[in-house]
Amino acid sequence: MKKVIVIDDEPFILMMIADKLKTAKIDVITLRESKNALEIIRNEKPNLVILDWMMPELSGIDLCNMIKNDPDIAAIPIFMLTAKGQDSDEQLGLQCGVERYITKPFSPKSLLDMVKEAIGNE
Amino acid sequence: MFKMKFVYRLITIFLLFGLMIVLPYSLTIIKQLEKMIEEEEMVSYVPGGNGTIIPEKGSELHKEFIPRLIDQMLPYFFYILVLAFLLSIFFSRKILISLKELQKGTRALRDGNLDIKLDIISDDEIGEVTKTFNEMASAMRNTTLELKKKDVYINAMLDPLWVVNEENRIVDINLAFTKLFGHLREDVIGASIYDFFDDKNAEIMRRQLEERREKWLSAIYEINIFAKDGVQMPVLISGSPIYSDGQVVGKIGILKDFREQVELRNELRQSRDYIENIMNSIEEEIVVIDKDYRIVKANKVALMNSDIPIIGEYCHKILHGSNQPCWAEGHECPAQNVFLTGKNYRTNHQHFDASGKKYFHEILASPIKDSSGTVINVIELIRDITDRMQHENELSQKNRELVMLNEISRLLGKSLKFDEIFSQVLHKLIEMMGMDGGGIFFIDDASREMLCRYHKGISDEYVKMLGRIRLGDDIPGKVAVTGQIMTTSDISRDPRVDRTIMKNSGVRGYCCIPIRGKERIIGVFCLLSFKAHDFTQEEENILSSIGDMTGIAVENIRLFEKMRELYEFQRKRREEEHSQLLSLSAKLGAAIDLKNILEGVLDLVKNFFGADFALLLVSDEEGNFSLKASIIPLRQADELLYKASVNSIERHAITRKKPFVLFDMQSESEFFLAPEIAEKKYHSSVAVPMFIGQKAVGVVSLYYARKRNFSDEELHFLEIIANVLAVSLERAGYYAKAISEKELSDTVLQSVADSIITIDPGGRVIAVNKSFEKMIGVLQEKAIGLPLCDIFRFQDGNESFRLRLAECFSSALTGKAVKRDAELTTAYGNTLSLLISSTPILKKDGEIAGVVNLLRDISREKEIDRMKTEIVRSVSHEFRTPLSAIVGMTEMILNGDIEESRITQYLNVIKSEGIRLSKMVSELLSIARIESGKESLKLSAIDLNALIQATLESFESKISGKDAEIRVSQNGALSFVGDEEKIKQVLVNIIDNALTFSDKKCIIEVNVRRKEDILEIMISDNGWGIPEEDIPHLTERFYRGKHGEKTKGTGLGLTLCDEIVVMHGGTLEIRSREGQGTSIIIEIPFREV
Repeated sequence: MKKVIVIDDEPFILMMIADKLKTAKIDVITLRESKNALEIIRNEKPNLVILDWMMPELSGIDLCNMIKNDPDIAAIPIFMLTAKGQDSDEQLGLQCGVERYITKPFSPKSLLDMVKEAIGNE
Repeated sequence: MFKMKFVYRLITIFLLFGLMIVLPYSLTIIKQLEKMIEEEEMVSYVPGGNGTIIPEKGSELHKEFIPRLIDQMLPYFFYILVLAFLLSIFFSRKILISLKELQKGTRALRDGNLDIKLDIISDDEIGEVTKTFNEMASAMRNTTLELKKKDVYINAMLDPLWVVNEENRIVDINLAFTKLFGHLREDVIGASIYDFFDDKNAEIMRRQLEERREKWLSAIYEINIFAKDGVQMPVLISGSPIYSDGQVVGKIGILKDFREQVELRNELRQSRDYIENIMNSIEEEIVVIDKDYRIVKANKVALMNSDIPIIGEYCHKILHGSNQPCWAEGHECPAQNVFLTGKNYRTNHQHFDASGKKYFHEILASPIKDSSGTVINVIELIRDITDRMQHENELSQKNRELVMLNEISRLLGKSLKFDEIFSQVLHKLIEMMGMDGGGIFFIDDASREMLCRYHKGISDEYVKMLGRIRLGDDIPGKVAVTGQIMTTSDISRDPRVDRTIMKNSGVRGYCCIPIRGKERIIGVFCLLSFKAHDFTQEEENILSSIGDMTGIAVENIRLFEKMRELYEFQRKRREEEHSQLLSLSAKLGAAIDLKNILEGVLDLVKNFFGADFALLLVSDEEGNFSLKASIIPLRQADELLYKASVNSIERHAITRKKPFVLFDMQSESEFFLAPEIAEKKYHSSVAVPMFIGQKAVGVVSLYYARKRNFSDEELHFLEIIANVLAVSLERAGYYAKAISEKELSDTVLQSVADSIITIDPGGRVIAVNKSFEKMIGVLQEKAIGLPLCDIFRFQDGNESFRLRLAECFSSALTGKAVKRDAELTTAYGNTLSLLISSTPILKKDGEIAGVVNLLRDISREKEIDRMKTEIVRSVSHEFRTPLSAIVGMTEMILNGDIEESRITQYLNVIKSEGIRLSKMVSELLSIARIESGKESLKLSAIDLNALIQATLESFESKISGKDAEIRVSQNGALSFVGDEEKIKQVLVNIIDNALTFSDKKCIIEVNVRRKEDILEIMISDNGWGIPEEDIPHLTERFYRGKHGEKTKGTGLGLTLCDEIVVMHGGTLEIRSREGQGTSIIIEIPFREV
């Protein structure tokens, strides 16, 4: 079973994504804090990480950089899910090696399609 | 000295030598002959002869004698000749030397050696020749030297020169020619001078040459010549013909480099055009006057304002219609003054136009000096101040009248004695009207005559003669009958006057004022002067009202006298208040800002007459009444109360021109009352009209809750008060008008806040305004003369600004006005966003005389722009998260992704996020409303303790989530008046911030206390703190500091808090240190419940 880690400080976003991905039989781990996320990602080695940009203490961009700088997990694709809708923000996100830059509000269905495409769900 | 000719000398020498040889030889010949003859005689002696030889008769010897003689003699002859020749040659050898010398000399000359001087060896022709040769050589030497010198001079000449032959081909040029034009000598020799001109200049040259062909005169003219590089160079040619043997063989032209002069001339023309432009753009008349007081220049306005051409005319002729300079009543001629002193001179003149209309002009005359400092012209700026002067005159007229009225009303009020009143009023009238004398006539009802009771300035005899006038006779008699004031500027020419004694008395100006009692005329004031006196309508009006007032006073006195005993006590009290009122009215006269004083007066009047309400209405020209002052605030001052068409008590009083008393208002429905007055249900009222002459100024009204009637003297007194108030109001009106006009012009002058820099076509600064100095921080004198962009060199970072500026003005120089934005760091070091707008100054012919560059500070606009963008960005951003829930979750429910049991949970999230969204919208709207000034406080009593508790409760889940500790300290129960909802908003925002920007287990303290009149609320946390550089910006809209990046928020919270606190009249202070925590201190004035 494929595994996806979702990190967002808004609980309802986590709930929504988890519910949607579970319909496709994807294992979802949700995290409300980014602080310990790196450790968990290292341990869990998920197929995909979905990140919010704006989180207290450690921003999505910082976390993304950390993942990409860790050779063990650098290959894991990352989706950035954010309210920052400006082109310049998207540029910055993509520069960090983000697979997809998704702006809120988003359609859970199309998110699921994108996830399937990224992890190659059978 | 005797000089022997060469031939003679030769002959002489020859003869000399010949003689020297022939003489001794002749002796030898003679001896030889004698010997031969002796031989002959021995051979054959022939007698008969005395020694002579007769050859025919001789012998053989005889026959041989002649050949022998020849044989004997010939060698001698030959010898003599040769000898003589040799000797002569020997003695003449000097000649040869001389000739040789000559030959040497000529050779030297041929080789160009002019310094040769030959020795004069002989004193003969050759000597002469040699001498002449020497002289010739010396002359040649001198000529050559001179020629050489001339050559040096010509080549040393700084001005180019050309020599041209009859065919106008160049024969010679000097070095300067090559230097200036670059043409080499070998290139130009033989060339036609027309090769150096374009068509236009060739034509000039041709004309010049043709014109002078016959006369062969020299000429000087300006022309452009092609230099080697093809550039046309302006030169001043001074050409002269070259003569030889009385014939013109060519021309010589000196070509003076004229570039500098042409440039100077252009500059002069430009500066003239520029000055003309400036002169024409000024809306006052400007004229330039020369030493003869002729107008040499005038701007458009001056030209337009005159019907006839003024240039070349005498200024005094144009302005005063006078042939003399310096005509003006008591004023000096400004131009003359400036010519004499060389300094600026400002004066006011009165001028008359062609139709005789009087104008007042303010003239500012300034000198125009030449380089030596001599005043050559005077420039006068003439400003039409007729309107202002008229206002001032009116004002001073009103002032005079007011003073008079005050004085007289004071007199009337102060005294209750007839004699005193009349003599003093008469005295004052004479003094104030500038009359020479006067008298008072009273009507004696019994005799139908008028008797002079008081007089001043006229003799008793005169009074005896004229002191008794029948009613209807003469001016006083007529005035007493008609009740109308009569004035005459010159009584001796007035047809209305019958009595000749009056006409011949020397009196000229005359004025007769009726003294009007309550019901009838009681007498007349007569004023007279011994010179003609024009009475204006205004004066007549004021005199009339003084007559009326005096009459009223007299009536008052009569009444008082009758009821003195009865009203003794009352009178005393009244007198006291009366004088108090009058002192106030005197103050009133001097006051500019009437409002407070009017209210004071009204209050006094109200108390004096025991009224419950008083108001003062002012009437405008249409008769509308607006409120000036009232005892209880009714409406905004100057607000319209009654329209002219409304039949109010006040309107009625104006129509009647006397006080109107309404005894029972409740039973009278005819009059309309303002609702504010009607609701009070007053019973009685009195309205007293205020008049200035015939002009209705307003009404003073008193209202009573009880029914009340008014005695006549009370009404008279009210009238006096109304009169004083009327004059004060009128005067204040004029004063305000004069002041506002002056302020307006000042404001207009100062209102240009933009920097204005004017440059010439070369890009150099000609002028800058004061705002430029203020905005940029560069002094005027430093900027002027600099190339425009160089002004801004003071800062390295200004390159892009300078580039933009250059772009603008270069474009303007091509005739196209341009605008550009640019940022500039000023000399003060601050950075401004400026809008550069460059506009060309066009001359009449369309040529560009310069550029006006305007720099407008648009920093504020930029900031607003930035904020707008920020709002849009932030709003869209903040709205996205709640929208995610609404959009995403709805989609999932619709797709059937969610099982039945969890749908409610989903819907709840959708609802709460919807509410969050709407809160954000309302928060934004609140700020917008407060900032636009539309929001007002809904004040109510607030229990602060309860409010804090309620606020904290709403954070319960967040507090427990953070495991935070909340400490609330409060000294006693605090209740105060404020807008509860808004104060709660403040608390919510600050506590939310404290929780958001702190770690878990943080401590938040809420501290409330009252410091005298101040309520202090302090909310502190021990959270992350705020970087120092963020603190000043936190109350800016959408500003999110360093920590804002990590959290969600609108950036509006503190903005809203600050706005709300300020609305309450308080302050919000933020104290913070990074890593230690933040304290927000709110101080608002404490309002007791």
